[in-house]
Amino acid sequence: MEQLPFTAFLNKYFGGIALALLHALHIRPTYPKTPITNFVAMEILVAVLLLIFFVLVRSRLSVENPGGLQHVIEGLHGFIQNQSEEIIGHHSERYTPFLVTLFSFILLCNLLGVVPGFESPTANPAVPLGCAVVAFVYYNLQGFKAKGPGYAADFLGPVWWLAWLMLPIELISHFARMLSLTIRLFANMFAGDMVTLVFFSLVPLGVPVLFLGLHIGVSLLQAYIFVLLTTVYLSGAVSAAH
Amino acid sequence: MRRTLSFIFMALAIMCFAVPVLAQGGEAASSATNWVAITSGFAMAIASAVCGIGQSKATAAACEGLARNPSARAGIQLALILGLALIESLALYTLVIIFAKVK
Repeated sequence: MEQLPFTAFLNKYFGGIALALLHALHIRPTYPKTPITNFVAMEILVAVLLLIFFVLVRSRLSVENPGGLQHVIEGLHGFIQNQSEEIIGHHSERYTPFLVTLFSFILLCNLLGVVPGFESPTANPAVPLGCAVVAFVYYNLQGFKAKGPGYAADFLGPVWWLAWLMLPIELISHFARMLSLTIRLFANMFAGDMVTLVFFSLVPLGVPVLFLGLHIGVSLLQAYIFVLLTTVYLSGAVSAAH
Repeated sequence: MRRTLSFIFMALAIMCFAVPVLAQGGEAASSATNWVAITSGFAMAIASAVCGIGQSKATAAACEGLARNPSARAGIQLALILGLALIESLALYTLVIIFAKVK
């Protein structure tokens, strides 16, 4: 299997542990010599980079003398906080940490594909599916936390004599949200890669740079859209029609 | 009326010359045409075209709303971006099916 340099590095030192872990879970990897696949290695890299970034920011926080990193993270936090306040309303501060993390993760995953020698983990359908499942579980959990067991009554619709019709419709539409979040992110990243490859095979010099620029713009937009839609679903789950 | 009828009957009679085409049925195509690839091209074109129309309507409405009420920029921008992404994803579903099904 074709490995990126970082993947080869991870497989050399952690390949044995990864293989043992997979066998303990009864999973047979397709290439037992390199159990850590490219996209898993890229995800690990993104997680490590984000951890370093957040720890750096935390260690340099200061009220009187904010540095550059603090401005960046305050800008991001304020942006998402303003948006969720606009969409969710009151008590939206408790969801901001999750949304900021989701945004940073997806953005860094998307942008990593532009750097040569790395690839976007989001170009593999498993990673956007993971993000979508996490978002789905999160907003349903927050719905239960905010409304108690009465959150399930939301699925039954406004009147009791339509509940037999509303329940399947609501369930299908909620699961379709996971599907649409996944496919939107995956298809945008994958199509960006494909288009860059196609134009690289036609004109190897100069023109693919334009498509890399497009990929950067699309990465930002798609990360923002993912978080925006999660915020909208959160507002639907948390603030009922009252 | 007579001339129309005679014209119609002449056309039908000429079409009887096309009967040898029926002799071709029954032999399996040795060079199988990849119908999936052809139809996927048309499907993607239709999906992109209709997506383009939908997004243009959304953008036009957003521009008009913004021109009438520039102070509502935040809400209009939010609704525009959300709407464009949702419409875009419909065309992307077609692309995903193409990548999954076309060899």
